[in-house]
Amino acid sequence: MSAVDRALAWILVRIADVDTINMLFREPRVTATIIGVIIATAAGILGCFLLLRGLALTSDAISHTVLLGIVVAFMIMTGWLGIEPDLSSPWLIIGAAAAGVATVVLTEAVERTGLVRQDAALGLVFPLLFAVAVIFVSRYVDDVHLDEDAVMVGEIGVAWANTEAICLSGCEQIFITPESSQAELVRRCVNCTDLGITPRDARAEFRTVCVNCGEYSPVRAWRAGLIDQEPVTIFLPRAIPTSLVMLLLTLVFVLALYKELKLSSFDPELAASLGRRPVLLNYALMVLVSLVAVAAFDAVGSILVIAFFIIPAATAYLLTHRLALMLLISAAVGSAGAIWGYGLARGEILGLVSLPDDWTTSISASMVLVMLGLFLLALVFAPSRGLLVGFVRRLRQRNQFRDMVLLGHVVHHVGTPEAVDELGVTTVHRHVGWSIALAGAATERLRRRGWVTIDAGMLAPTAAGKQALASFHSVALDKS
Amino acid sequence: MDAHTRATTFDAVARGSLRRWAWIVAIGVVLLAGVPIVGALLGATFSYTLRTVSAGGALLGLVSGTLGSFVVLRRESLLGDALSHAALPGVAIGFLLAGRQLGVLLLGAGIASLLGVWFIRVVVSHTKLKPDGVMGIVLAGWFAAGIALLVFIQSRPDASQAGLDSFIFGQAASIVRSDVRLLAGIGACVLIVMVVLWKEFKLITFDPEFAVANGYPVRAISTALSVLIVVAIVLGLQLAGVILMAGMLVAPGVAARQWTDDLAQMVGLAGVFGAASGSIGALLSALDADIPTGPMIIVVACCFVAVSLAFAPGRGLVWSFRRRTIDGRRFRRTAILRDLYHYAYDHAGPDQGVPEEFVCGLRGRRPTLRTLAQLQIAGLVTRVGGPGWRLTERGWRAAAADARRQRLWDAYSESFDRLGLPIVEIDRSVDLRDLLAADEIERLEQAVAHMQEVPRVRG
Repeated sequence: MSAVDRALAWILVRIADVDTINMLFREPRVTATIIGVIIATAAGILGCFLLLRGLALTSDAISHTVLLGIVVAFMIMTGWLGIEPDLSSPWLIIGAAAAGVATVVLTEAVERTGLVRQDAALGLVFPLLFAVAVIFVSRYVDDVHLDEDAVMVGEIGVAWANTEAICLSGCEQIFITPESSQAELVRRCVNCTDLGITPRDARAEFRTVCVNCGEYSPVRAWRAGLIDQEPVTIFLPRAIPTSLVMLLLTLVFVLALYKELKLSSFDPELAASLGRRPVLLNYALMVLVSLVAVAAFDAVGSILVIAFFIIPAATAYLLTHRLALMLLISAAVGSAGAIWGYGLARGEILGLVSLPDDWTTSISASMVLVMLGLFLLALVFAPSRGLLVGFVRRLRQRNQFRDMVLLGHVVHHVGTPEAVDELGVTTVHRHVGWSIALAGAATERLRRRGWVTIDAGMLAPTAAGKQALASFHSVALDKS
Repeated sequence: MDAHTRATTFDAVARGSLRRWAWIVAIGVVLLAGVPIVGALLGATFSYTLRTVSAGGALLGLVSGTLGSFVVLRRESLLGDALSHAALPGVAIGFLLAGRQLGVLLLGAGIASLLGVWFIRVVVSHTKLKPDGVMGIVLAGWFAAGIALLVFIQSRPDASQAGLDSFIFGQAASIVRSDVRLLAGIGACVLIVMVVLWKEFKLITFDPEFAVANGYPVRAISTALSVLIVVAIVLGLQLAGVILMAGMLVAPGVAARQWTDDLAQMVGLAGVFGAASGSIGALLSALDADIPTGPMIIVVACCFVAVSLAFAPGRGLVWSFRRRTIDGRRFRRTAILRDLYHYAYDHAGPDQGVPEEFVCGLRGRRPTLRTLAQLQIAGLVTRVGGPGWRLTERGWRAAAADARRQRLWDAYSESFDRLGLPIVEIDRSVDLRDLLAADEIERLEQAVAHMQEVPRVRG
């Protein structure tokens, strides 16, 4: 990852100066938001494909089982190789991705026996792998980074503190030897004080000693005033380059294989018959999901990962029919959740309302809650698929149908002997079997449209009304 | 079928079912009685804690196993996962309102889960989102709310909140005897409701359309089933934790499904498996202080699944593998007999050998030679110089009989309609003579005689 770190730092110093960058990254809010946005964007984009392929809960399974991969890789590294890795080590990421793919493979293997259905296969495999992981964690792993809390809520709130120092210029290690010009050489009496010897004593032995000799890291050298120019160092939170790599991989994958992904998501049979290898593509997608899940796992914990995948994607699904737009909206919803979520965790809602002072809570959970809120908004207010629009549409259809029933009744009975009772404004409701209010409202609507008139307390159809009824017949009842 | 045969058939079925039940009871007794014995042999001391925890585990396994059977059959395995996560905010709100009282916490958990069920149902029926997606939303969204509240509670200077997060992973060691009593009481209620609504549950599990058509309140019944499942999940929270309850619901049901096709037996067996994994898991985790109970229970339950998938009679992988092997062997034998027969028929006559290269060329060298060796042992073929193979007298008879059988099948599939024969399942490995009456066979034989020459048998 260090190459990525350096590249990122190189880009950053071309945008802003080093002090500003370091100050920003030292701000927990900024770092957490940046990480959140990166992960939410990557997960939001991949989540759309998962949702469209009916694999929503596979992401849940993967996000649980990456824990097993991390734990096993961790145990191998500490136990056999004697290395103490931190959570962003590439080996742990590889282990986790392998576990994610193993989940999918294992589930499909269980399913292929024909003895267990797909949902049950998934419901067996991932609790098992997760249970094994939890047993390993509590039995063999004794590390602050892998405790149960980190598994639950992640470390996005303290990500700013876990940094990698990247030195950009003036980075040489400084060695001060007695010969070098900056060496502070002091003549000292080596045998003074014992036996009452003073420096003036003839027996005093003097030796030249270098007080500042040794090895200096750039920062220490600057503090000790050994170099004139401050070394340019960026303290980059470790989670940022890791998650950025996942985002880049995701973007490259989706942009390069957009057509294939689209085809195999909507019509896997056609994709297969065109030789597009949907199965291979599916595994590639699962690898990517596992990688993003690892990055997300580090930041937001194992269970909330699924929220980053599914909730923005579902929100976007409610808002648009077009895949490209869905990807954009999904990424935007996820990012909005990440940005406003930090505020919610610290007691402010969209920067407007402030919650009581003692409100402080998990950042990752708050991000998810904001996403959930956005989903609910979309659910209710979505332009064509929302509950509200659907409710209004159903209401309108019901009224329209009532109007036509009443109109039909009027056309049927007008001019007949029983019309006085059948069509009387105050009695008609009994004949169509409605309450007075319902019938009155329908009458009023028909009258306003000019389809009926009220004549001597009796309803009578107009010519326009008869025509409306006829066209309703031909359209709705399919009578031509 | 007259009344007498029907009655004896029923008797036979009933006897078979009774025997299965006896098996289930026996397995249950062995498993549950075996636990303390094996435990004692392994050197576990049956302390108060261990007794309580394993009793709790067994009860929980019993309840979740029986209800899990329905979950598995209704293909809602992941609903359990979603609902157990969705319970968390209820626990937190219950704590905020009433403090650390188990009853209130569990009530809150139940309400939150049911809200999740309701939300899933509303969204699925009013949008085009698929159920799994909505489950994911509920799972993560509710859980996030729970985590947010829990972290908020933990940030307050209040000692009584300690251990509240044990609901996430489960903390079996914190269970006391009164908890077990609560578990037993509620579990008994759940089982009684299940027995009372047995017929309805069975109906909506296997044929919901039929239930709707017959005016059963399907929505109410399935809500009742969901409520029971939620209760089971809530009961399991303390022991197994929210994450692992999904496995607790699914695993015993899947294991039991392999052994029987009868719902009552499946539910009973799932209860047995669940109870056994609960107590065995508790025991195993007691052997080592660092092994958490909930995950261990899941691992044990999955072991039951693995054994069931492998060895269940008739269905298990071992059996189907064996069956495939035997079928394959029989198929190869018949096919090679046919090859030799037709070669002899078309070219040389029964006394001439068929070149080995020719026989092997048709079906691959190694399996062919292996099969030929088997046939030789069975006395159906014999080696002749050349090198080649020849049918023996018996082999010739067997192959000719097979050819005749196949010819009957050919005639049948060509003209069963014209001859007015009953429709039977076409399986060329059985003898049609066993499926049809004697006069029908006769008609078929006549049809064969009219067919042109000896038809080529497809191998």
